[in-house]
Amino acid sequence: MPEIFINGQAIEADAGQTVLQVALANGHFIPYFCWHPQLSVAGNCRVCLVEVEGRGIDIACNMPVTDGMKVFTDSEDVKSHRKAILQFITLNHPVDCGICDKAGECTLQDYHYTYNGEPSLSSDEKVRTTKFYNLSNRILLDNERCILCLRCTRFTHEISKSMALGVERRGDVANIRPVENKPLSEDPYSDNIIDICPVGALLSRQFLHKSRVWYLEPTPSVCPGCSRGCSINIWHRKPEWFLKALDPKQNTSIERITPLENPAVNGPWICNKGRDLARIFERARADEAMSRGQPVGPSAAIDEARRLIGAARRPVALISNWGSNEELDAFKTHLGEVFHAFVKRDWQRQEGEPVEDDLLIRADKNPNTTKARELFGDTEAALGEGTDLVLIWGEGFDFSQLPPRARVIFLNSYLAPENGHADVFIPISVQTERSGHYTNSDGVVSAFERCFAKKESVFDAAVLFKALAAPARGHP
Amino acid sequence: MPGRQLIMSFPVTTTSHTLAEYRKRGGYGALEKALKEMKPSDVTKEVSAAGVQGRGGAAFPMGRKWQVVVPDDGQTHYLIANADEGEPGTFKDRWILENAPHLLLESMLIACYALNVRNCFVYIRGEFDLPYRRLSAAVEEAYEAGYFGEGILDTDLACDIVVYRGAGAYVAGEASGLLASLEGKKSYPRNRPPRLTVRGLYQQPTVVNNVETLSNIAWIINNGAEAFKAVGTPKSPGTRLFSVSGHINRPGVYEVELGYPWMKFLNEDCGGVLDGRDLKCVVPGGVSSHVLTGAEIASLNLSHEALWDAGSTLGSGGTIVIAEGTCMVSLLQVILRFYHHESCGQCTPCRHGTGWMHRIIDRIVAGQGRPEDIDTLYYISKFNDGTTICGLGDAAGYACVGILNKFRDEFEYYIEHKRSRLNGNLECLKSS
Repeated sequence: MPEIFINGQAIEADAGQTVLQVALANGHFIPYFCWHPQLSVAGNCRVCLVEVEGRGIDIACNMPVTDGMKVFTDSEDVKSHRKAILQFITLNHPVDCGICDKAGECTLQDYHYTYNGEPSLSSDEKVRTTKFYNLSNRILLDNERCILCLRCTRFTHEISKSMALGVERRGDVANIRPVENKPLSEDPYSDNIIDICPVGALLSRQFLHKSRVWYLEPTPSVCPGCSRGCSINIWHRKPEWFLKALDPKQNTSIERITPLENPAVNGPWICNKGRDLARIFERARADEAMSRGQPVGPSAAIDEARRLIGAARRPVALISNWGSNEELDAFKTHLGEVFHAFVKRDWQRQEGEPVEDDLLIRADKNPNTTKARELFGDTEAALGEGTDLVLIWGEGFDFSQLPPRARVIFLNSYLAPENGHADVFIPISVQTERSGHYTNSDGVVSAFERCFAKKESVFDAAVLFKALAAPARGHP
Repeated sequence: MPGRQLIMSFPVTTTSHTLAEYRKRGGYGALEKALKEMKPSDVTKEVSAAGVQGRGGAAFPMGRKWQVVVPDDGQTHYLIANADEGEPGTFKDRWILENAPHLLLESMLIACYALNVRNCFVYIRGEFDLPYRRLSAAVEEAYEAGYFGEGILDTDLACDIVVYRGAGAYVAGEASGLLASLEGKKSYPRNRPPRLTVRGLYQQPTVVNNVETLSNIAWIINNGAEAFKAVGTPKSPGTRLFSVSGHINRPGVYEVELGYPWMKFLNEDCGGVLDGRDLKCVVPGGVSSHVLTGAEIASLNLSHEALWDAGSTLGSGGTIVIAEGTCMVSLLQVILRFYHHESCGQCTPCRHGTGWMHRIIDRIVAGQGRPEDIDTLYYISKFNDGTTICGLGDAAGYACVGILNKFRDEFEYYIEHKRSRLNGNLECLKSS
């Protein structure tokens, strides 16, 4: 094992590591733009220059460790070179941070203030090129802000393998451009390039000018889009920045979703579907209990449901595979003896959605099938003639399949025509309104946390199951 | 003739480039000698002992490049002749490709034998038309005569060659940029390590040598390393082809034995400066090398060590003669426009630095210069040097600093008076 010295500190490194990796792992920060732990080394931004005794200045990201090498990450020479590189990078950069979505989480901004901080040495006109170039239906490209680190092209070549991006022309008029006949819109992982872009060159159309990032905070969560269960961050407004004047929904909506790095599941990536969870969670919500289409109070609805459960001879439950591990356990504990339970698929693959690939996307488009099947078996739902009560938990069940005389208890989060057809309808919370765990298809358990408060008239399923298990009032 | 001739040792006629004529001059004898009398390792030893320095610009010893490659390590090896001659002022490889293509092919075959190469390539500059046609014709002749293919000269040696035309990027003349282009990619140079002799074309060990460098091999095999070292100076053995252009009476390609006095070469062999003017300065080895004033070269010999001592380099042998009365500001503008245009745009300092320098010099020439511009040019040159992936960024800085160091007064005059002291002349006009 080679021993190297970084700023005088002796470090045992592994052969094959680069100086940058060793330095970062041992608390000696070296700035970098183009280097990314998951991508190949490009070595083109040149900001990770370090000084090696006897060898002068060179980039750390492509420097293999050799025994006894003495590296300095902060010598005067390194500082002046780093400063010059930042001068070069900002030479043609528009510095339009005031209207840039990346401001506040921009690597270039951070490095400029940390390592340069001086105005440009140039007073010549900057090189002008395209702004708001249409890369795909999801992504815009601002070539003036681009520093050509080529993380995005390497991502499409090495990770998503769509080969959708390349570089056109050369010199300071070189531009990132889509490759002919390889549309980025067909790359289900395309939005990751927005995250890995160190500057504000790649812009999400969804998030464009929607909010300054410092008004937002992330809540760790799990993507329910498929059984991979990728770890995500759900970004929403910080309570101290709540706006009183606007529609209150603005304060409790999902502003954007980014991956949360989790080496056990998804690494630093998620697919585009995971970015669009707002389309699932922010559908029109059901917030009123109903009995045969008539609004009733929550306690009345629970009473009615208890009565139906008490009267049923052959009750069947269709278990949601969007329920958390805790909710599934609660059902098993409180109602498992009462109902004959089958696991139901809440969500089917949508038209045009990828079926499965070898990166992240799984064929099962539900988050917790693993745990549900573990508790309730994997036999297909059998609703025989004798079934006289069906408890349907969650969406995805075709009501025309119901046995003719069966009564129905329906638990759902969203407005749907079926809600009114049920004998008892009780609204339940969605994932962003509670915390819990999902077990993914590989058996890895990941936690999600609550982002928003639920309405009082809406139940958490675990609480509801306990309530339903109590005997009906007014009955012997 | 400036000393002994190893490459240009025959009279050029309309047919001197053909196989028949080449054979009459003893062509492919060195290949036969190498295949039948020498082991591959002997060839490498002989070439290393001759101490040929690379003729493309960096003067890296060919033997040291070769010794990194282990011929029988089970890997596929490649040999590439770099004929992407793009350095401004350089056109010496063109002479070889036009007039002695078989010399290159024979030398490459010997190299393939030494390095255990099955497939070799010639990466030829896209703008070269006659050289390409001559080389392609020579390859066809050589295949017909059985010098390529399998069972060459009734031995086990098998070798194929591909002539690949570039698409006009200066940076593709850089060895790793060349490989990227040859692989069908944008010609972005690669970071070292790994060196190309470890992982080059298609990630296999690859030797990339300049056309002129390779062309010395046949002579070395025929006459031996000792004979080669007897030519030239002890530190710079052999000869070099110089492509002389600019304000000179007899421009063209000259083979010069290294160590030959420079002024004698210019005045006697090349006919002196145009119109009998005084010599202002000389770009010794392509515009990427520091310029040398007439006074500086007066006592210099044409050898690598002499030029290094004088703070410049023989580079690619592209000698541009500049007569008194030439405006160095306009000259630098032309040079910096070239570097700006040819920067591949991969790494930051060169991508922005070359454009920055070009904009500054454009502004100075337009009469909008500021006194601090000269310092800014120095600043850019300083931080372009050694921070880029390939040498193009360094070279732009060298060219700029070389001229600024020696002709700073012209720039100061231009900035102060908003016009050139020499009327912006680049041409050598008779009336002036």
